[in-house]
Amino acid sequence: MSIVKMQKVAIIGLDEHKESIMTRLMDFGAVELTDQKSKLADEELQSLVLADEAQEAAAELDLKINQAEAALSFLEKYDKAKAPLFKTRRAISKAAGDKIKARQQEAEADILEVLQLEEKLRDTKEQINKLEQDGIMLEPWKEYDQPLEAVETTKTITKLGVVPAAVDAKALVEEVDDIPGVVIKIVNQDKDLSYIGLMCLKSVGEQTFDLLKQRGFTEISFREFKGSVTENLTRIEKEKDVLQKKINEIENEVSLKASLRKPIEDYCDIMTIAADKEKIKSNFLKTEKTFYMEGWVPSRLVKDAEKILQDTGCYYAFSEPGEEDEVPVLLDNKNFFVPFESITEMYSLPAYKGFDPTSIYAAFYAIFFGMMLSDAGYGIIMTLACFIVLKKFNLEGTTFKMIKLFFYCGISTTVWGALFGGWFGDFVPVFARTILGKEVLIKPLWFNPLDDPMKLLIFSLALGVVHLFIGMGIKAYMQIKEGKWFDAICDEGFWYLTIIGLIGWLAGGMILPGLTKVGMYMAIIGMAGLLLTGGRHNKGFGKITGGLGNLYNITSYMSDILSYARLLALGLATGVIAQVVNTMGSLFGGGVVGLIILIVVFVAGHTLNLAINALGAFIHASRLQYVEFFGKFYEDGGEPFNPFRKKTKYIRIDQEEE
Amino acid sequence: MNMIDGNTLALLGAAIAALAGIGSAMGVGIAGQAASAVLAEDPKKFGKTLILQALPGTQGIYGLIISFLVMQKIGLLGGAMVELTMAQGAYFLMAGIPIGLVGIWSGIAQGKAAAAALQLTAKRPDQMVKGIIYTAMVETYAIFALLVSVLIWLRIAI
Repeated sequence: MSIVKMQKVAIIGLDEHKESIMTRLMDFGAVELTDQKSKLADEELQSLVLADEAQEAAAELDLKINQAEAALSFLEKYDKAKAPLFKTRRAISKAAGDKIKARQQEAEADILEVLQLEEKLRDTKEQINKLEQDGIMLEPWKEYDQPLEAVETTKTITKLGVVPAAVDAKALVEEVDDIPGVVIKIVNQDKDLSYIGLMCLKSVGEQTFDLLKQRGFTEISFREFKGSVTENLTRIEKEKDVLQKKINEIENEVSLKASLRKPIEDYCDIMTIAADKEKIKSNFLKTEKTFYMEGWVPSRLVKDAEKILQDTGCYYAFSEPGEEDEVPVLLDNKNFFVPFESITEMYSLPAYKGFDPTSIYAAFYAIFFGMMLSDAGYGIIMTLACFIVLKKFNLEGTTFKMIKLFFYCGISTTVWGALFGGWFGDFVPVFARTILGKEVLIKPLWFNPLDDPMKLLIFSLALGVVHLFIGMGIKAYMQIKEGKWFDAICDEGFWYLTIIGLIGWLAGGMILPGLTKVGMYMAIIGMAGLLLTGGRHNKGFGKITGGLGNLYNITSYMSDILSYARLLALGLATGVIAQVVNTMGSLFGGGVVGLIILIVVFVAGHTLNLAINALGAFIHASRLQYVEFFGKFYEDGGEPFNPFRKKTKYIRIDQEEE
Repeated sequence: MNMIDGNTLALLGAAIAALAGIGSAMGVGIAGQAASAVLAEDPKKFGKTLILQALPGTQGIYGLIISFLVMQKIGLLGGAMVELTMAQGAYFLMAGIPIGLVGIWSGIAQGKAAAAALQLTAKRPDQMVKGIIYTAMVETYAIFALLVSVLIWLRIAI
């Protein structure tokens, strides 16, 4: 319902108690320890204390964590078991946690083994690469049948090389061939190069090579090869086969090691806990034998924190946050509203002194989502899917909140779908007509928006006005709490008057003839108030222009209200697309073929429609909160409460009361 | 002059509404290019990038809705077309214009916003939802155009 009140805690203790108090605080998991280095700017303190530097130990632990993570991602890549849809943390008893600590050495050996396998795999792959490159290099020389190592005899020299295709190789060969004591041949030609081999007497060597060089001849050395090109190519193929087999073997071996993932994950988390413990020390100050830490505790947990501090025997003091303190923000909502916190968090947390509107807009969020998706069939699917996920997986944090959110939104969608008569669009009547040859109608519980869209448009806008008014009400509440009564009347009161008045003036006549007059007077009084008070914070001429500017804001209120028209439009979109799908499915008439086509089109079409429109409903329901609702009052900028606790990824060590 | 009758105008309306697909095609294309660039760095982001790429696709769907509604009302899908007067046909034409035109430009603009959101996702995957919201802001105007088209369509009596 609100933002959790915090208290500041300052702790001074002896070094010998440091470890035990840190362990206790970590288990407690509800104290944020803040960085105290800024205190060192104070000269008097400077002479007394030092920043606690424990980075070396932390770096060493980080290295271990990185290795474990590398091993894990390698194992995951070759794990043949299907990855679960959601990653959840395994709950582990404290005793089991201690056991993990005890088998640290074994885990490290496992990690080393895995990493060695990874290196072996990488090496083998590199070897294959090298062979492939050799193969590519040798391939054009297939026709050359001399052993590659025979480059020189006492009298002769053998050379292989290429000239660019732009050079007329034939002419070149003929020219060189004219030199006595030279044998030259074109071995191969492709679109880029001509491959040339030659053998010549050493006596004419210089002359020959000079000529060749002038014509763009580049020598290619095959010094590392023995035997003919074809021999080499077969050898490369064979070696590649062997290496490929080796790779398969290694990969197999790795996939068999998948069972190591769990112990390594355990180890990784234990190391993370240890590293966090080291890292947090850099937030402390120390003297030779004592330490100083400071942090935030939720007020309602102060008693528990106090007990821990008493037990460990250190000096401490709790105090209320001061004016200039940046207090971390933790939202606290009742059970039903918790999932909607994820929407608030996604925007940005409220400032500590701001207002957490989660519980106020939660119902609106669900209603908006339901109206925009508005199909009972889709709603039931969403609700069921989320329900199964929630039952099957032990979800935590944001994932849990999101799934729960969609669970609620699914229920709302079902309700609105039933109200508007959408059950997979008009599937039931279409199915009955084309397949069963009967006329079946599902009556909407309220009305079909396609029959009377104006009714739904007015309903949507009215809902929007209520939503906006609540947002303005929160702003007024905050102003009144700060004692700014006058501001609340000017900024919100007059707008209430103006908007209600205008609505009465324009549309009141439809309900009661007298309403038009009443509305007109209300609107005029409201607008006069806005005009007169809009510039109250300005000076001189600004007092007049401020009022005009304030009145001009009527356009932004208009656009805010009209923005809620999307409730109707997106609702219609879902319904009409569903109808399109059903119509397409029924185009082939009845019978078995018709039925099969209908089913295929039904599944594919409605899956797509549900996906697109659920995403749309989610986005636009959020937008209506963020832009229209939050815009009226929200003060953001809170830093999330980040308590010192076990931030583990894979396991959750349960606390047992000692 | 008998070439153009009410039915022709109505079909023209349906055709213009379907033009919103131009905007979506371009928008999805722009976003798709950005998505590929993101994926080159990190193939694991396929799911996330796909959602962002799909966002500018809705204009085409809205256009399709209006096209379909027009065709349904004039009986094109049922077999025999209703004989429309010139005025009726012109109404259907008017119904097609808002979503057809707004769809084109809002689709392109939304594609650009989606491309930027994709770059955001590449650097800060945790901020992706905010990128989606930015992108969806553009869509508001396509939704309004859809609404105008639907309201016109609903009021046509045949």
